[in-house]
Amino acid sequence: MKDVLHLMSMYTKTTAKAWFQYRVDAVLKSLAVFLREATGIIVIWFTLMKFDNINGWNIYEMVFLFSLLFLTYGIMIIFFTGLRDFGNTVRSGSFDRFILRPRGLLFQIIFVNSDWFAALGHGGLGITLFLISAWKVGINWSLTNALYYIFTIAGGVLIQGAVFLTLATLNIFMLQTNSLKELLYWNMRKFAGYPISIFNKAIQIFMIYVMPFAFVNYFPAQFLLRKSDMSYSEIYMYLTPIVGTVMYLAAYLFWRFGIRFYKSSGN
Amino acid sequence: MSFIEVKNVSKTFKVSRRRAGAIGAAANFFVPKFEKKEAVKNISFNIEKGEAVGFIGPNGAGKSTTVKMLSGILHPNSGEIKVGGYIPYKQRKAYVGKIGVVFGQKSQLQWDLPVIDSFELLKAIYSVPDDVYRKNLERFTEMLDMSGFIGQPVRQLSLGQRMRADIVAALLHSPEIVFFDEPTIGVDVVGKETIRAFIRELNRQDGVTMIFTTHDMRDIEKTCRRLIIINEGEKIYDGALSALREMYGTTRRLEVAFSEKVDLPGFENVTVENLENNKKRFTFENNKVQINELMNRILGEYNVRDINISEPDIETIIQKIYTKKEAEI
Repeated sequence: MKDVLHLMSMYTKTTAKAWFQYRVDAVLKSLAVFLREATGIIVIWFTLMKFDNINGWNIYEMVFLFSLLFLTYGIMIIFFTGLRDFGNTVRSGSFDRFILRPRGLLFQIIFVNSDWFAALGHGGLGITLFLISAWKVGINWSLTNALYYIFTIAGGVLIQGAVFLTLATLNIFMLQTNSLKELLYWNMRKFAGYPISIFNKAIQIFMIYVMPFAFVNYFPAQFLLRKSDMSYSEIYMYLTPIVGTVMYLAAYLFWRFGIRFYKSSGN
Repeated sequence: MSFIEVKNVSKTFKVSRRRAGAIGAAANFFVPKFEKKEAVKNISFNIEKGEAVGFIGPNGAGKSTTVKMLSGILHPNSGEIKVGGYIPYKQRKAYVGKIGVVFGQKSQLQWDLPVIDSFELLKAIYSVPDDVYRKNLERFTEMLDMSGFIGQPVRQLSLGQRMRADIVAALLHSPEIVFFDEPTIGVDVVGKETIRAFIRELNRQDGVTMIFTTHDMRDIEKTCRRLIIINEGEKIYDGALSALREMYGTTRRLEVAFSEKVDLPGFENVTVENLENNKKRFTFENNKVQINELMNRILGEYNVRDINISEPDIETIIQKIYTKKEAEI
């Protein structure tokens, strides 16, 4: 155990050192990610100044909804950069090197690399949005609510991690899943910025049962904000940590199954 | 029981066959066509502890696939592999801690960081004890003359320096077996010599078992006594390097410079070519023609200015083996 912790700290140190090799670039890159994502929010901000609310959600409540999305992604990408880039790792043959080291494969993929630019850009935006909205949407930050919030964030991280792990596993079979990720993850994420009640039923079902972004932000926000557009059973508000855990375990089993089919990409 | 046992191992890849043109590409998308490619066909060999074995063969012969199966990256489709009591692809974690692999074409060092940082990380990955690490690092750094650049970022190193650092990286955990996959590729003559000398030393002094793939026959000549040749997935030679010379290297060339213009009678089993300046070249097989008889006849009957015998170099022999194989098929 001590050995594993030491290795984890060594990996982190190595990533950080590489990061500091290009200090200015690092800061600019993080800022670029931050601004790119913030632009979308600013557009909504100005739209709402005209319309007042979207399906009963005012601007601060919308910002709170967004903050969950960015915060969970920011945390997730610290751990799952390796899975995001797994396609490249396989194609370049670097995965062979992981196999040659006496450590768990998933452990190595997770800890060898962290995209701190994305983490700071997304996470920083998430924190900013949270600070803007958290005390303006009428949430009583009691101990129960705070605990609920922490578990929900963890669940949201696991849900998105499970999606990345599943897509990474598909890489073993198809060698390229970027377009699938674009289609399933990034496109659906654009919907997830809004309360799902504004969409038609098909999209809602998709966002709950197929690519369950609704559990990352909509249902948790409902628990804390209690808006009147909620048309699903209250149970959904409590499921995020469970959905996250189950999805992650399923994705992990799929990974274990898929890894047996790994074919080295050759020289 | 040998240290490394490979018995009737085969490996087949499924490769998708691409059809040409836009329609072909569309057809590929809907009905992908797969072909089976046999990369390795029924190969067997044993290697003893402490041996250094060279693996050669033309591109695509199956060398890399064999090395990847031996190191546990790939599963064989059939046959058995056992190394030091382990089945590489089944007992991965326990096994890979005992081997070292150098891919000449793929560095395992951190590109942006000083060499020493990669070494420290590897120490943690392999849980190398402090004293072993320090001892290995000091010794290898000195043997490969690396103290001048160990603190420099990898991206600033020359290819030769990078390769030396990569070799040390694969050895810090004192592996019992080391796989070298083209460890001298792209390195200049001096650098190659340093690397070969180091590898030889490691094999002789530490008794490390080694498997060495390369296209540069000189690498093999300088480091390995035994040679395995693979072509089109099959093992076509396995034995001592010197025996190969005896088996295939029977051609001899005798170049004689005569002091005057001469007319020679025909010699049996000898081809004679005329070169400029009254020089003639005699080519023959040394198992068909007695070299001393031939020379006696020439030296006894004519005035000779200069004489020179040559045997084919190992490259020529290997070339002959490859092409012979193709001619049979």
